[in-house]
Amino acid sequence: MRGMVENGKLVKRKPVLAMSVLLVIVAGCLGAPMIANHDPAGFYLEALNQPPNREFYFGTDSLGRDLFSVMFYGGRISLGIGILAAVIMAILGVIYGCVSGTANDKVDSVMMRIMEFCGSIPSILMMLILTAVVPAANMMSMSVMIGITGWFSLARMVRSEIRQIRHSEYVLYARATGGGFFYVMVYHLVPNCLPAVMFAMLSNVSMAITMESTLSFLGLGLPPDQLSWGSMLSLANRALIRNTWWVIVIPGLFLVVTLLCITDIGNYIQKEVGQRKG
Amino acid sequence: MPKKIAKKLIWLILEMFLLSILVFYLARQAPGDPLQSFYGDAMESMTEVEREAARERLGLNDGFFVQYVRWFIHALQGDFGLSYQYKMPVLAVMKSRIGNTLLLGGIAYILIFVLATMLAIVCAFYEGRLPDRLICRIGTIFYYIPGFWLGVVLVLVFSINLRWLPSSGAYDVGMQKNLGNRIWHLILPLTVMIASHLWYYACMIRNKLLDEMQKDYALFARAKGCSRIEILWKHCLRNVMPAIVNLMAISISHITGGTVVAEAVFNYPGVGNLAVESAKYHDYNLLMVNVLLTGLMVFVGGFVAQIVNEKIDPRIKETGVIKW
Repeated sequence: MRGMVENGKLVKRKPVLAMSVLLVIVAGCLGAPMIANHDPAGFYLEALNQPPNREFYFGTDSLGRDLFSVMFYGGRISLGIGILAAVIMAILGVIYGCVSGTANDKVDSVMMRIMEFCGSIPSILMMLILTAVVPAANMMSMSVMIGITGWFSLARMVRSEIRQIRHSEYVLYARATGGGFFYVMVYHLVPNCLPAVMFAMLSNVSMAITMESTLSFLGLGLPPDQLSWGSMLSLANRALIRNTWWVIVIPGLFLVVTLLCITDIGNYIQKEVGQRKG
Repeated sequence: MPKKIAKKLIWLILEMFLLSILVFYLARQAPGDPLQSFYGDAMESMTEVEREAARERLGLNDGFFVQYVRWFIHALQGDFGLSYQYKMPVLAVMKSRIGNTLLLGGIAYILIFVLATMLAIVCAFYEGRLPDRLICRIGTIFYYIPGFWLGVVLVLVFSINLRWLPSSGAYDVGMQKNLGNRIWHLILPLTVMIASHLWYYACMIRNKLLDEMQKDYALFARAKGCSRIEILWKHCLRNVMPAIVNLMAISISHITGGTVVAEAVFNYPGVGNLAVESAKYHDYNLLMVNVLLTGLMVFVGGFVAQIVNEKIDPRIKETGVIKW
């Protein structure tokens, strides 16, 4: 995910558009009960596969669900998984990175080897094994699974940041005056790599949302009664047969727009950090 | 050199060994009675005594390590067990599919890196100007579009509505040997693979090229009157080459992940699609071999990249690995 830096001239202004679009989407999801004009769990059997119209703003799918209402309720779970998984990745990555970064060279190289090893299996394959063994039952278990398969790049980044500052005076001082590992980590190491972690977390949010929707599409995601953007798209194959484009295009657009907004904001943060450092 | 290769080979074997333990352990944690998956519905009519005898015979009562060692010995002889879903040896199932995946993944892999290098050179040439910014922008957008969704939309447009391209499979019935027909079926999956991976690598190569452009030798070339494209193509690209080779090694894991999604969307008969199916139907033997094979590919890729790099860039022998 790193390296998505665009040219310095490109993103200097605050990403106002991205922020406001994201705000609208998030607000819509939070206020879903106020916006939804139908029951998201309701099956309107008399109105299957309706194209977008005045009654159903985004149309209905092959189960007769109102896509407009499902969209905002589903966004809650999709965004929730994104944020939860990113937090889990950040916690795991920061702790592992700090331990590896401050340890002596031997321990560090072994820890890096282990991580390289874990990171070498494509995350989608790891998720396939995990979901086959423990099917994800709800938002929490899904986030945990995505979290534990995706923290490697963040840990590597934290480790390389820590290795640059681990011999600086203030860290030595804190240690000399008796600061324990966790004390030094929380008060001295983490604040130093916080901006970088923030950026990585934002791109992890995008990654987690994509992973959840991919798994749901493959039929290995959340059970159908848990509404998410991914589970809406899991009906895409049926929609293809009936050629009902709105079932595929509208949830997907929501997904893509959200991901792009998050990326834009992430790029901006990274740029800010880069400027402050440089 | 041979000593170094031997050392790396030992690492490779160790890594494969660890991976197999990990995957075996996970597969044993799976819910459901293994007897159920072995005997299917026949299990219902078995008595408790028969079940116990069957468990004993299959060695399901032994400890984890006894089971693992038994599996390992069989695996060394090329016996990875039966696929419950296909009622066939796992290796036979894999063999019938792997060619298709290698075709898709291989073409995608080559195209991604050729195109990424080209795009990176174009971007670096126009650094900060309109073409560069435009490519960066479009590239980022494509990178963030989920692969499966792009695939479904492409099917919707090109197969269902325009009826130009086939929506699934690797070839039409009876056309297995027909190269044109195969390529015809590969267009959409390849588009998805390339669109969702290309920019990540193009961007990395672009940034690396721009870093090189700042160096003294580039400045010198500039001063003696070389054009920008000449410096990029003749000097910088050469210096970035080891990094690209390294990137190609790292990318095997990403691109293999990409084939899983692309194959599943287009119902392409490859091992990636097989992995999704076996996860869905709890066919653990098949899933295990799939993961082991992917792991082997990634590890061997890293191994080869390092050897190639030492050949093309003597600096690496001194400093070790290239850092990204």
